Amino acid sequence: MTLDPASSVAIMSRFRKIGIIGVPPLEIIRGANEHGLVIHDLDEPLVREDLETASPFLPRVYCAILRTAVVNALHLELDAIYADTGPGKCDCALHTATILAETLPIPVICTKNTDNASFGTPLCQARLPLIDRMLAITAGVKSAAPYQNPPDPCAPTAGFWGVPPRDFSILGLFPDTTHIHGWARCMENKTPADHALEGQFNPEVPTVFFAQSFCAKTALARYLAKKHPHALYLDVDVHTTSSARAKVQAFLELSGVRP
Amino acid sequence: MILGDFGTSYCKFLDLDAPGARPTIIATKELPRETRVDLATGHNGKRFADRYVNELIALARGGEALTQEEEYVLLDCGSRDIKFIRYANGKLADMGWNAECGASMGFTIELLERYYDLDYAHLRVPEQTFSVTCGVLGMSDIFDAVISGVPVAEAVARFVKGIAINAYRFAGSPAKLYLSGGLCDNPLFVGSFPCQVTPLGRFVLLRGLEAEAHQPSPPPVS
Ligand code: SF4
Repeated sequence: MTLDPASSVAIMSRFRKIGIIGVPPLEIIRGANEHGLVIHDLDEPLVREDLETASPFLPRVYCAILRTAVVNALHLELDAIYADTGPGKCDCALHTATILAETLPIPVICTKNTDNASFGTPLCQARLPLIDRMLAITAGVKSAAPYQNPPDPCAPTAGFWGVPPRDFSILGLFPDTTHIHGWARCMENKTPADHALEGQFNPEVPTVFFAQSFCAKTALARYLAKKHPHALYLDVDVHTTSSARAKVQAFLELSGVRP
Repeated sequence: MILGDFGTSYCKFLDLDAPGARPTIIATKELPRETRVDLATGHNGKRFADRYVNELIALARGGEALTQEEEYVLLDCGSRDIKFIRYANGKLADMGWNAECGASMGFTIELLERYYDLDYAHLRVPEQTFSVTCGVLGMSDIFDAVISGVPVAEAVARFVKGIAINAYRFAGSPAKLYLSGGLCDNPLFVGSFPCQVTPLGRFVLLRGLEAEAHQPSPPPVS
């Protein structure tokens, strides 16, 4: 169902535990925070269930993040799901929300996040392990609070462009001085539909342009990788394969990026 | 120091402490389980050494040692996968590793030679080709062609040419490429590329390991 933001928040008094897909508008997250709701980010692996349990609902050849969201939605006892299906997410999420709405006995509320107030991107530019920063960015979608004590920016030695991957292990190969670009940066900035920000990269540092296999962003990732003077395009499905790991390792090492 | 390139079908070794020693080669299925080397690469390499260099890095280092050019494409066609690196202005510009769609390519070519009792040295490059993206799928094209009356040798040659063209496209369709791997010894395969090919032989990854052996040891990775 599609509701205006005020109604989407008003019905929250009936819920205790909600799931989100993508980044719903800040007004929704603020409402959920004020109602003290438990928020589960369904885009992340949350339950120990086989991804195959999504196959009756979504094709096997489909974005692994949304297959994960379906598995989570089937196994977590949620009161409602807020799925962002606007320009900050994708058609794949829209169709997934439609299927979930007909499958589950709970409301599935579609939102269209067009927020354009920048929260800043300190984690994207900090010197910290890339996995930790990506975890913090994805955890950040559950809170509407402004960032406290942002870390200092560092000079980048490498770039990671893309969405937070389904399998974070690939991020362990990058140095702490890797700057994050692409949709993950939009996510930290809380402007997921900012396509101009999403398209930015740093041509000065070797950059991996990453997309989930079967996502429309593979086209953008590959296109930007061709424009970048020193880039590797990479798409990965559910798990990081050994050849994907080797490509990233070799790319960074042969580009002179120190661990 | 002993270097080892542990491939799917063949393992290659070089002893750096034996002056003038040539690389040795052994079929992977005959490799003693207790084999240990000082520095390894290849699909099976991690099991046999404490220090491992990933295959793309070994390939690139081997290319740097053997070509001494600023701009080149080096394509490695193995039993199980294909990979390439492209250098421009003396720096890495592009790379690829296809373990899925290049699946079992070299392995299938070798298998077909034995199965049909052919000798690739005596097959000419055919006019026609099959559109093959992987060894396994391409087999059915051979069977279909043979059933429709195409001689076995011609059908297999079309298959080999299809594989060469697929690998060439994967490497970015360059005007000229260096070829690495056991298929360098297959004149039909080498002659099937629609571009200039310089075979570097099957020891390119060993040469890359040799270059890595002269680098200081990196800290152990957890
Ligand atoms: S990775 Fe792509 S297809 Fe998957 S949810 Fe994100 S935008 Fe949609």
